[in-house]
Amino acid sequence: MNKLRGKSIVLLSFVFLYGCAQTNILDKVGLTTLVGYDIGAEEKIATTAVIREVNPEFQSNVEVLTTENDTSKGNRMDANRKLSKKIMVGQMRVILFGEDVAKDNLRYYIDTNLENASVSNGIYMAVVEGKAAPLLKYEYQNIEDIGQHIFRLIEQNVKQEYMISATLHQIAHDYYSIGKDLAMPIIKRDDELVELSGVALFKGGKMVSTLPAKDSFYVKIVRDTFKVGLYETVLEKEDIPSKFLQKPANKITVAFDAIHSNREMELVDIATPEFDLNIKIKSRVLEVFPDINQGDPKSVAGLEKAIEKNLTKEISRVIAHSQEVESDIFGFGEKYRSTVRHSKLTKDKWHEMYKNMKVNVNVDFVILRDGVFE
Amino acid sequence: MKFKLPFNKKQSAPIKEAPKENLVRVAHETDHFIQSIKNATNNPADLIIKTLPPNIALIYIDKLVDDQSLNNDIIANLQNNLYETPESLKVALSISEVNISSLLKETIDTMVNGSVVIHVDGYPQAIVANIASRESRALSAPENESQVIGTQVGFNESLSTNISLIRRYIVNPDLCNEKLKIGSRTNTSVSLLYMHGIANDQMVNTLRQRITDLTIDELLDSAVLAEMIDDNSLSVFPQMLLTERPDRFCDAILDGKVGVIVDGSSMAIVCPQSFTEFFQSQEDQNLRWQIATFVRLLRLTAFFLSVYLTPFYVAALTFHYEVIPQAFLVPLSESRALVPFPPIFEALLLEFIIELLREAGARLPTKIGQTIGIVGGIVIGTAAVQAGITSNILLIIIALSALASFTSPSYMMGNVIRLIRFPIIILAGFWGFYGIMLAFCFILIHLLRQSSLGAPYLSPFYPPRLKEMRDSIIRMPIPLTAKRPALTRPEDNNKFEPEPVKPEKS
Repeated sequence: MNKLRGKSIVLLSFVFLYGCAQTNILDKVGLTTLVGYDIGAEEKIATTAVIREVNPEFQSNVEVLTTENDTSKGNRMDANRKLSKKIMVGQMRVILFGEDVAKDNLRYYIDTNLENASVSNGIYMAVVEGKAAPLLKYEYQNIEDIGQHIFRLIEQNVKQEYMISATLHQIAHDYYSIGKDLAMPIIKRDDELVELSGVALFKGGKMVSTLPAKDSFYVKIVRDTFKVGLYETVLEKEDIPSKFLQKPANKITVAFDAIHSNREMELVDIATPEFDLNIKIKSRVLEVFPDINQGDPKSVAGLEKAIEKNLTKEISRVIAHSQEVESDIFGFGEKYRSTVRHSKLTKDKWHEMYKNMKVNVNVDFVILRDGVFE
Repeated sequence: MKFKLPFNKKQSAPIKEAPKENLVRVAHETDHFIQSIKNATNNPADLIIKTLPPNIALIYIDKLVDDQSLNNDIIANLQNNLYETPESLKVALSISEVNISSLLKETIDTMVNGSVVIHVDGYPQAIVANIASRESRALSAPENESQVIGTQVGFNESLSTNISLIRRYIVNPDLCNEKLKIGSRTNTSVSLLYMHGIANDQMVNTLRQRITDLTIDELLDSAVLAEMIDDNSLSVFPQMLLTERPDRFCDAILDGKVGVIVDGSSMAIVCPQSFTEFFQSQEDQNLRWQIATFVRLLRLTAFFLSVYLTPFYVAALTFHYEVIPQAFLVPLSESRALVPFPPIFEALLLEFIIELLREAGARLPTKIGQTIGIVGGIVIGTAAVQAGITSNILLIIIALSALASFTSPSYMMGNVIRLIRFPIIILAGFWGFYGIMLAFCFILIHLLRQSSLGAPYLSPFYPPRLKEMRDSIIRMPIPLTAKRPALTRPEDNNKFEPEPVKPEKS
């Protein structure tokens, strides 16, 4: 009898507990795929959300809504008042920041999204040149769903390693760790298309400078390892011995894809501080214009030397630029902190040191193959 | 009912005094004898009494005896000669099974079983000659467990035919056959078959005891017996295999299992049986090991798909829209947009329709059954989507899981798969993935607690018997599976001396 009572209590609790679970039935929710933040009037947060709604009448449509409020949850409530469906953020893929927000401080936005359990940590973040709202509200001729489009655009470029990756997880890690600063892709509207136009450098939560999209290769190669990236560089005439050239030219453009890259940082002097940065790249040369004789081992060795020289120069330039604006996006500070005991490093202290840091860039470039047909 | 488990030797059988009617003797006079038989059998219409002057009477039940041998071997013999005593008559009959009985009850029992009773006037004995003829259909292909490659013969309803089939597969004097009688009214013959020297004695004893301890009045099919002698009769999961394939039966017996055949039933019982063995088909032995492994993994996948696919759909659409891949989001929500019900109701409705179709198809004659298939597949499926009561994608999922449930080689297990889906769907609709997990844990714990004839049901996964996984959800080449499964605790562990898989070239 007791056993039966126990079982019936369990069964009965099933019935009552049924009401406790909150349902989010797929066709009753409006799915936010992208959110853009701007600074609105009177220092309020202006949120532009791309929301996909499915209605039986229209197959499905994409709403772009801008609301202004003091908090992002308040913005969600505002948006709810305008839509027939409950707005949920579980399918959000991209967060965009207007330039003014990025230049102000990102701390609040990183925190709120990190604390929200239904926001995935894998969503991409990017900065918009100018404001986010106009980019999202523009009626593109060939882009049906701007939220999905931007997500695929960033994802594709990150997977191909053309652009640095900035997911919420990575951003939060960089933001809260001492000795590393944020870097995010920049996007802008280019007529009827959306374009990844550069890399934003941050100092703490503030955007301080930008690098052109071309330089994201150097940022990436110093930040982490490389597996598939394709890159094109221009070798100046003085870098390359003229005897290899089949006909005289002012410059040579080389396209290569790095099959594998490996970087090592070594702290050689604590006081200055001074780092050795050793980068090993194994690569495949795809195109050389104008042509040089690649059958000759000597000319290949020469080409390697020339590319090494070129890369060293470019990487040094990028690092120097980041030092100028005190944004350590490469994580030299982390290396410093993990090497030097009791350094009691703080963000401010490191930014001071970073300005005067010396880096000896050392590139080891190996051409494994040159073209498939030879 | 739950039976006390095994190996308890202190079972004192209560000694019963034989009832008095069992001791009534056969009468001297033929007239008295006939009258007492008529009284005992309630004077049935098919009781035939034939007197052969001067002193002999034949009593038998029509159609239970073989007419030809009755005429040629008995009547012809008795008409031409004169016999004074039952002994001389017994010697003269050219029939293999002839006995002399002096007890009335015994005589009647054998007569009901198909014997001719011969009484010589003036003697208190009766001669019973067994010339039983049983109606049974011819051997045919096993309909419920058909195979592409393998023998195409199945058991039929005759116990003696079935045993002779097995004896033809296992030509060995070690094949033991014990005959038991069950059912106080039906007196059904049940045969217990096992290999002496392989099968574990304790298991045989346990099974024998479980069968003899049964006090029931009727036993019409082996499925009923299997349910009653299961370790846990209340579980949905069958713990003993029902098979109609003699090759599968023999394979199990040679592994050290014990088989039970019930007269009048075309399904034989095999035990102990583990959970994974329900997903094995005898055909796996006939295929190359790579293909057999693939097919077994396919069936296991089908099991999980069948049980969890619909609940996953319900849970994802009701609670966890986050997990739906982005590419799938738009088609899914578009196909759901017209449906007015919540996903749980939609799924239950469609599962209900599929079950209706299956049940209707199983009950109807074959010709009409095909029509039901068309009606169900095309008309209801398409119409339901167009009418907007289900989504396309759910229709695919439900059809897929129904299809997957039929890949189970055991029909009994297929039924279980179809049944346990419903509570999981409901739990998924209540609490999403938490509900599915709850159901999963419940089923897993339940399975872990089961045993089959005292052997662990989830073997070889729990308890982990790594070497036996070679022949569980995968099948390794025959030299690697030379050991009998420990599930049966066989007396002889090795099937044969294993040779190396790749013999070295000499």
